[in-house]
Amino acid sequence: MNLLVSAMALLMACAAFVIYDLATFRDVITRNLSVQAQMLGSNSVAAIMFADPNSAESTLAALREAPTVVAAAVYSGDGKMFAAYRRDRAVPVPMTAETVGNELERHWYSAGTLKLVRRIFFQGQPMGFIFIESDLEALNSRLRRYLFISALVLLGSMAAASAASAALTDAVVKPISALAEAARAVALRKDCPVRVDTTGPLNELAMMGDAFNNMLDQIERRDRELLAARDHLELRVEQRTAELAAANKELESFSYSVSHDLRAPLRSIDGFSQALLEDYGDKFDAEARGHFERIRAATRRMGVLIDDLLNLAQVTRADMRREPVDLSAIARSVAADIRKSDGERRVECVIGDGIEAEGDPRLLRVVMDNLLRNAWKYTSKHPTARIEFGQTQMNGGRPVLFVRDDGAGFDPAYAGKLFGAFQRLHGAADFPGTGVGLATVHRILQRHGGRIWAEAEVEKGATFYFVV
Amino acid sequence: MRRAFISAVATLALVASAAAQVGRPSEYQVKAVYLFNFSRFVGWPQQVSTDSAFAICVLGRDPFGAALDAALAGESVGGKSVVARRVSQAEEAAGCRIVYISTSEEGRLKEILAVFDRASMLTVSDIPRFSQRGGMIQFVLQGDRVRFEVNLTSAAGAGLRLSADLLKVATAVRRVAQAGS
Repeated sequence: MNLLVSAMALLMACAAFVIYDLATFRDVITRNLSVQAQMLGSNSVAAIMFADPNSAESTLAALREAPTVVAAAVYSGDGKMFAAYRRDRAVPVPMTAETVGNELERHWYSAGTLKLVRRIFFQGQPMGFIFIESDLEALNSRLRRYLFISALVLLGSMAAASAASAALTDAVVKPISALAEAARAVALRKDCPVRVDTTGPLNELAMMGDAFNNMLDQIERRDRELLAARDHLELRVEQRTAELAAANKELESFSYSVSHDLRAPLRSIDGFSQALLEDYGDKFDAEARGHFERIRAATRRMGVLIDDLLNLAQVTRADMRREPVDLSAIARSVAADIRKSDGERRVECVIGDGIEAEGDPRLLRVVMDNLLRNAWKYTSKHPTARIEFGQTQMNGGRPVLFVRDDGAGFDPAYAGKLFGAFQRLHGAADFPGTGVGLATVHRILQRHGGRIWAEAEVEKGATFYFVV
Repeated sequence: MRRAFISAVATLALVASAAAQVGRPSEYQVKAVYLFNFSRFVGWPQQVSTDSAFAICVLGRDPFGAALDAALAGESVGGKSVVARRVSQAEEAAGCRIVYISTSEEGRLKEILAVFDRASMLTVSDIPRFSQRGGMIQFVLQGDRVRFEVNLTSAAGAGLRLSADLLKVATAVRRVAQAGS
């Protein structure tokens, strides 16, 4: 295919050259004929002037030496033929001069010959005309010669090009194609069974083939290593998961049973204390009754602590559901509950509208409950309080939820301890609490893939930011 | 000027036109034209060119008549107008460039040529054997055609250069020194 295109290009180039050359050659022939006409004309002047046709004819007869000239003739000023020359007896010569109009000379091609007529001048004055006719044999033989040479050149170069192309194909094109094919096969099938043949005459191609094969070896080895690593990892993950599950289970059952086991004695203490108060209350003095009250208060506190612990444990165990949850509604409901239990205080509650999240409704309720109750609790020392639950934009443009109060706040230096279990930044005398609430909130948000952090100033309030 | 064109044509055109009238141009009509044509093929030496006109003279009995004046009408050579003069004595021909010596002067040819010696004049004549007797151009008749012979030596002796084209159409070219002296 390429060979054909090259041949065509070569043919067109040859044709262009030949055409140009022949055109130029035609001009040369015409110019030569013109020169001959001029010389013959000037040599015929005297003959015309002195009415000597023989002299003119012998001048023209010299054209026998020019084999391409077919005929020639001299015409006197009135255009009548004066003398003529014919190469062959039968060649016709025009009897009167063709008019050249206002020009000095005119030439034209007809019947396969070039004809030329020129005015004869002598000492600046027109004398007559000279006609000369030449065949185009020189041109034709040149054309034939060129065609022959072009054909030879064309065939020769095509033969040479074919031979070169064949040699090149074997040495270069085939190995490269094989390499490309192998690369394509590897990419398609995503495994590396094929290898490239690195025999062949060219060193560079063999090196390339070797490099390719090496690369495939390396790829195969890495694939194997990757698979082995992955299997190993999966094994470890399974092990870890099993260990983790076992540990969790232990922990859960531990906390559960501990909580329950702890409750029993508590119930005893509380119950018997109450019984004592009721049955023997009148036998005790005020101080003794005070002691009992304190026993009962303490047991109640412990009960709350155990409940909270149980809650915390449950949070870890419970299955999580994921569904759209209307946090605004939950917040309002929680606020209403708190107000019901502690309605005396003047607290302004601002709940944002339309705040939603994706998560477990029960667990999220626990979150709102803890956060709002905390806010309520830590503003209790102030005469008025403002608690706000809303949504805001953080620097990255992501929406963040917050619960803000203007209560006691905390020292931000201890913010790290805030979410640890049993960590309290305030003494029990100031604010009652078990230190488990925020840990629970933290655990729940963690399970949802969210997070929580807080900002505060002492006595200026605290803001808890969280993302579900 | 295209007058020479007409004069060249006259030779042959007269054949056609005259055929409708009298027949052919007369012998002396042709010779008159030739007399002028000779001037186009002859080179004169430098010193002769100071003349104001180019004179063609007839010495002796004039055989041309009006034909000569007709042939020369309107012609010019080298910017000078051509005139015809008739003289009866050789001495009167001084200043002529071309001199036609009539057959009537055949008896005094030698003296005439002696007068014209080195005068840089082109001598033309019908006198028999003129070219062998020291003349430069001699008219001859071949059949009904007017031809001429040329004596190169005589011409060279007068300092005249005859063009090779002229020699080509001459029937004979002689290189003969003046017979006698």
